[in-house]
Amino acid sequence: MRRANVISGVILVLFGLLMLAVVIPAQIEPGPDGMMSPRLVPGMMMGVVVALSLLLVVNNIRAKGREPAEDATPPISGAELLALAKIGVIFAAAILLYLLVSPLAAGAVIVVGGLLALGERRPLVLIAMPAALLTAIWFLFYKVLGTGIV
Amino acid sequence: MSALLIGFQDVLNPATLFWVAVGVTLGYVLGALPGLGKATGVAVCIPLTFYLGPVAALGMLIGIAKGSAAGSAVSAILLNTPGEPSSAPTALDGYPLARQGKAQKALKMGLYASVIGDFVSTLILIGLAAPLARYALLIGPVEICTILLFSLTFIGALSGKSMIKGLIAGALGVFFATVGLEAETFVSRMTFGLLELEDGIALVPMAIGMLAVAEMAVQAGNVRKLDSEGARITDGATRADRVVLAAEWRRCLPVIARGTLIGSVVGILPGLGASVGSFLSYGATRKASKTPEKYGTGMIEGVAAAESADNAVVPSSLIPLFALGIPGSVIAAILIAAFILHGLTPGPLMFQQQPRLVADVYAAMLCASVILLIVGYTGQRLFAQVIKAPLRLIIPGVLLLCTVGAYMETSSVFSIYVMLFFTVIGFFARKLDFSFVTFLIGFVIGPNLELSFRQTLQLLDHKAMNLTNHPIAVVFILLTVAVVWWIGRGKKPAAPEDQAAHYLGQSKPKGRI
Repeated sequence: MRRANVISGVILVLFGLLMLAVVIPAQIEPGPDGMMSPRLVPGMMMGVVVALSLLLVVNNIRAKGREPAEDATPPISGAELLALAKIGVIFAAAILLYLLVSPLAAGAVIVVGGLLALGERRPLVLIAMPAALLTAIWFLFYKVLGTGIV
Repeated sequence: MSALLIGFQDVLNPATLFWVAVGVTLGYVLGALPGLGKATGVAVCIPLTFYLGPVAALGMLIGIAKGSAAGSAVSAILLNTPGEPSSAPTALDGYPLARQGKAQKALKMGLYASVIGDFVSTLILIGLAAPLARYALLIGPVEICTILLFSLTFIGALSGKSMIKGLIAGALGVFFATVGLEAETFVSRMTFGLLELEDGIALVPMAIGMLAVAEMAVQAGNVRKLDSEGARITDGATRADRVVLAAEWRRCLPVIARGTLIGSVVGILPGLGASVGSFLSYGATRKASKTPEKYGTGMIEGVAAAESADNAVVPSSLIPLFALGIPGSVIAAILIAAFILHGLTPGPLMFQQQPRLVADVYAAMLCASVILLIVGYTGQRLFAQVIKAPLRLIIPGVLLLCTVGAYMETSSVFSIYVMLFFTVIGFFARKLDFSFVTFLIGFVIGPNLELSFRQTLQLLDHKAMNLTNHPIAVVFILLTVAVVWWIGRGKKPAAPEDQAAHYLGQSKPKGRI
C-alpha cells in the first residue's frame, strides 16, 4: 500500500497542479469586479488536494521499511483491473449499439456481455436472462409506472 | 402528534403501502447480497421513483434503506460474509449459531433486534429533528459554513484508514461540485463547452457509478473466490433451535435497548456510520457480560447487540439532515437528491414549509419498520436462497439496472458517460482507500459550503478578527482543528475489519467486508 500511496499521491499532485495552472484559468472566467472570484473555491480545493497529496507522498516515503507485511501486497489485483477493463468494453459496445441500433440492443449486450465476461457459457442462461430482465424492465416502466424509456 | 396522524392517513392506503413494501423487500434482498448495500440500492432506485407520488417514492426509498440494513444480517449469519460492513459483528456470533443448527434462531433474533432498533430510532428522529431545527434557524451563514467544514473534516478524518486520504476525497468532492454555472455570477466553470455540464454533475449517475458499478467491477475481479462460499440454512432437531425462547428474550431485551441507544447516538454524529455503532454495541455487550469469553462462539446476545445498533443508525442519521440540512452519512447524502426531487428540501425550513410531507415521511418510516418485520419473517427462507445465486448471474443484472437508473436521470446517454467516469474514480478510490463516502458527502454539501463561504466573507468584511462576533463559528473552527490534531496523532477508532479480528482474537470474518 505504501508504494500505491506514493504513486496515487504523485498523480494527485500532478492533477492538482494541472488544474491550478491550466484548467481553472482556462475554464473559469475571472468574474465581475467587486464579487468573489468564481475561481476561488475550485482553486482552494485544488490547493488543499495538492498540499495533502504532497503530505501523503512524503509520509509514505519516510515510512519506508516500517510497513506491516500484509500491507506489502498490491492493493489492486490483475483480475480486478481486467474486470474493470471488461466492463469498460461492454459499455463501449452498449453505447455504440444504443447510438446505431436501439436501446433494447444496448440493454441486451450489457447482460449478455456481462454473463460472457464472467464465464457463463450455458446457452439457455445467455438467452433467457437478458430476455427476462428486459421484459421485467419493460413491464416495470411501461405497465407499472406508466412511462417509457426514451 | 396530530400531524403524524394526518401522515398515517396519507400513508395507510394500498398503493403507498405497496411501494413501501416493494422498497423494504428490495432493500432486504440487496442487503443480503454482499457488496450491494443500502446506498447502492437507493441510488439505483431513485430514477424509478420519478413517476411515483412523493409519499410513495420517499417511502419506497426509505424502505430500501431500512430493509437493506436488516437484510445484511442474512449473509453474515449464513455465509460469515456480511452484506454490509456494519453487519460484521453479527457474523461473529451469528455464523457459529448457524453452524450449530440454530440459523433460524439467529436470523429471527437479528430481524427482531433490527426492527426494534429501527422503530425506536425512528421515534427518536421524530422527537428530536424538529426541536433541533428550531435552533438551527437561529444560526447564520458564518456558523453554517464552519459547521459544514467541521462535518466534512470529521467525516473525512474518520472514513478509511488514512485521515489525509479522507480529507483529499472530501476536497475532491467539493471541487467536482463546483462544475457548472456559478450561482452568484453565472459564470460557467469547467464545463469544457458541454451544455450538459452547465447544471453541474448529476448526483444520481455519479453515485451509481461510484457505489454500484465500481463495486461490481471489484466483485467481478473476485467472482470465483466469492462464489465458492456456499450458503446453507441448517434446521436444528428441536424447536428450541429454531425459535427465540422467552429466556433468550429476557437476556436480549436489555442488550437491544443498549444497542438501540448506541446506534441512535452514533447515527446523530456525522461520519461515524453504522459500522462504528454495531461494533460499539457488540463491544459494550461483551464487556457487560459475565461470560465475555463465550462471545464469538454463538451467543444470541451478540447478534441482538450488533443488529439493533446497526439498524438504529439509519433513522437517526437523518437527524442532522432534517435539522441542519447536513448529510451525516452517504445514505443521507443520496437521499437529499430524492427528497429535493419530490418537493422536500431537507433542512430546518422543511418543518415550516412542508409540515404535511414531513409527517408523511415519518409515518412512512414507521410503517416501513412494521413491514420490515412482516417481510423479514415471512421471507426468511427465500432470502436465504437468494444469496446462493452465483455472482456471475447477479452482476450483469445489476449493471443493466445501473444503466437504466443513470439514463433515466436525464434521458440522455451523457448520464452513462458520467456514470462510467465516476465508476473508474470509485474503483480506484475503493482499492486505494480514498473514502468515496467523504467524496460524495463533499459533493453534496459543496454548493452549500461555497454559498455560505461567500456570505461569510461578506459578513466578516474579509477580516478574520470579525469572527469573534460569532462564538459558535469559533467553537466549530476549534473543533475542526482539534479533530485534525486528535486523529492526526493516531487516536482514531479501528476500522471495522480490524475490530472484528480484535474481538475474535483470530482471523477476521472472511469475504466482502
